[in-house]
Amino acid sequence: MRIIVHNAKCQGHARCWAQAPDIFKLDDDGYILPGDIQVAEGEQLLASQGARSCPERALEVDRTSAARFGPAAMQPRTGEA
Amino acid sequence: MAINPVPDHVPPEMVRDFSLFTSPGMPPTPNGDPHAAVACAHDGPPIFYSPYNTQDGRGTWVITRAADQRKVLQDTETFSSHRSIFSSILGETWPTIPLELDPPAHGAFRSLLSPLLSPKRVTALEPAVRERAIALIDRITASATSCDVMKDFAFPFTVSIFLRFLGLPDQGLDTFVGWAKDLLHGDDVERPVAARKIVAFIDELATNRRKDPVDDLMTFIVQAQIEGRRLTDGEIRGIGVLVFVAGLDTVAAAIGFDLAYLARNLKDQELLRSEPDRILLATEELLRAYPPIQLIRVATKDIDFEGAPIRKGDYVSCATMIANRDPEEFESPNTVDLAREHNRHAAFGYGPHRCLGSHLARREIVIGLEEWLARIPTFRIKEGTAPITCGGHVFGIENLILDWS
Ligand code: SF4
Repeated sequence: MRIIVHNAKCQGHARCWAQAPDIFKLDDDGYILPGDIQVAEGEQLLASQGARSCPERALEVDRTSAARFGPAAMQPRTGEA
Repeated sequence: MAINPVPDHVPPEMVRDFSLFTSPGMPPTPNGDPHAAVACAHDGPPIFYSPYNTQDGRGTWVITRAADQRKVLQDTETFSSHRSIFSSILGETWPTIPLELDPPAHGAFRSLLSPLLSPKRVTALEPAVRERAIALIDRITASATSCDVMKDFAFPFTVSIFLRFLGLPDQGLDTFVGWAKDLLHGDDVERPVAARKIVAFIDELATNRRKDPVDDLMTFIVQAQIEGRRLTDGEIRGIGVLVFVAGLDTVAAAIGFDLAYLARNLKDQELLRSEPDRILLATEELLRAYPPIQLIRVATKDIDFEGAPIRKGDYVSCATMIANRDPEEFESPNTVDLAREHNRHAAFGYGPHRCLGSHLARREIVIGLEEWLARIPTFRIKEGTAPITCGGHVFGIENLILDWS
């Protein structure tokens, strides 16, 4: 599973981060860092909860990528730089 | 209040008798529930025109759906924030900053102030906030088994936090609360008097901090640079006034409504008392059910928006309390469900103007509820009393006498 991050829509509510601070990383002003987020298998529920709590609809859950990339747990997470 | 006529371009069938100021449940009402009262907006069309829906009696388009409010508030090009709500009380037109600036000018000021109120910074403020809550509650329990939550807890708590943030001593508290009351709920004579006092106060504070810098917000502002230059006196005033006004009333009102709800719903009260971990999530639901603010934008051009012929200069109202009761957005919107998940409520608005103080406001409410529930046994509304609620520019609760004897 992958979370597509629409940075232009992020307004720094930090709701995603409040749900899952290890998955959703914020910059110093409280806005999400750029880059889509590859979610490990065990974190899928938490990640989708975080994504679904974004008031701006800035986070999109993409479930197709798991099929494309194989087991998501094997994927490194991007979006941390 | 002078009431302005409905403009000619508004089709008569789109006009609805509705106002956050004058509709049933909006004037001061004992045991009122203004948030439930505005939920009736969902019985009608998703957008309508209300002929008198602002403090100065102007009409607004009313956007009832959360999804449409999101569209309006995210589209700052079509829907401008430059309304000069505060300065118009003085017959002037300068903006409060950053709220009443539009992008791109908005961005520089927003990034200047964002770090001061970021989630990280708010975490650092948390011990001071908690200490203040505990001190106030201990003072109440030392001498009584009943109190007026607004006067004895909610206002002194929230106002002193933000006074500390601004760098002001607590002694000014009663004076400042008085100014805020006159400004937000006063009549046509009281409002300009209060506004002038606030402006004079902010100007003087800026002058003092320029002379004698200390470690506080006003010093930061007078020393700050944007785009390689110092801020003008007008910009400093615009920021100071906004920070002053924004922090005074809103969080206190939220805490009041929340504790009133818990006083009337003992099961929920016991649940949060016995499982304090639930307070974090419950606070989001209480923010959804009892948000205090109506956001207003001005159309910058003619646009047909979801069937409404909005014309340049029209006011467009995005009332958070209406969006938060939208059945298309929230299941059973009129039921308070403290375990509700994915609570994408609109209490802090949407779009680039999302409440800059939202992280601090949240922490204040969570900490206020945590400490109150940890220290006060089962509380109810004191027999023979009735909290007075009101709608308007900021929804409020004027008194809340709780009893735990
Ligand atoms: S919840 Fe949405 S708006 Fe808020 S920080 Fe996360 S992505 Fe940004």
